[in-house]
Amino acid sequence: MTAARCPRVHPYADGEFMLAYGPPDGPQLLVLQPLFEEMNRCRAMIAGICRALAERGIGCWLPDLPGTGESLRALDDIRWEDWLAAIEAAATMVRNETSTLPSTFAIRGGALLDQAAVSRRLRLAPTTGRSLLSDLRRSALASGSDPARPAGYTLSPALVDALANAEPSADGDVRTLRLASDDRPADRRIDGTPLWRRPEPATDKGMEVAIVEEIASWIAS
Amino acid sequence: MTIEDQLRAILRDVLGLGAERAAAIETDTPLFGAMPELDSMAVAGLLTEIEDRLHILIEDDEVGGEMLETFGGLVDFVKAKRGG
Repeated sequence: MTAARCPRVHPYADGEFMLAYGPPDGPQLLVLQPLFEEMNRCRAMIAGICRALAERGIGCWLPDLPGTGESLRALDDIRWEDWLAAIEAAATMVRNETSTLPSTFAIRGGALLDQAAVSRRLRLAPTTGRSLLSDLRRSALASGSDPARPAGYTLSPALVDALANAEPSADGDVRTLRLASDDRPADRRIDGTPLWRRPEPATDKGMEVAIVEEIASWIAS
Repeated sequence: MTIEDQLRAILRDVLGLGAERAAAIETDTPLFGAMPELDSMAVAGLLTEIEDRLHILIEDDEVGGEMLETFGGLVDFVKAKRGG
């Protein structure tokens, strides 16, 4: 129980880190977090999901992408290809450590990058790069900060260009979850709160439990 | 779902309103400046969520004035954007 609840820190790629929860001998899940501010807003929910899955015998791996979270690199020097390469490296490392190819669970902007892992993919409320850029620009305008450095995020022109055209890839084995209040196409709708929209830290235990149940049955199928 | 119901759902989601409060939003319900949750940062998230869920594009210079004054103003703006 304790081992499942306390994640281990694994280096991966070049100077990047990921948290690992749960056993190496069950199904393995690579969790791709939302991008920018949405990552912080979802952090508690994602940690809760990883702990609950670990207790059910599912290994969860949570990389911080280059330029985000615990990464030693600065975001303004990151290109889209760096993120894709980091996810590929993370997936390879999970396979080497556990002898199991991980499935991916991508939240929001994480779904723009999940094709890099080449595996079964589950998504929660996938969004587009254009929408994320609009959000960053509007937040900058609202807070009176420089739109080129919205809310403290400095993106390289190459990253902005790649984001502007980024869409979740429809190729391969993809299952999409959306909130019940969102009527865009989805394989399943769950009741819940878009925590990625909340500026104040918030949790939604009911939604967390529904997501854990969904992942556990999907990964076993 | 009608445009009105979709906008109520979006306001509920973005602002974290309870179900009863969201259902009580009517045409003349005042929004920006009257609803404490709807500050300028929340407007940013609201507009992006409206774009995504109602499939429209909102230019920066279209934001403000009547469009965010009341719920009815927001409904009219979205309906006009969607061509009636």
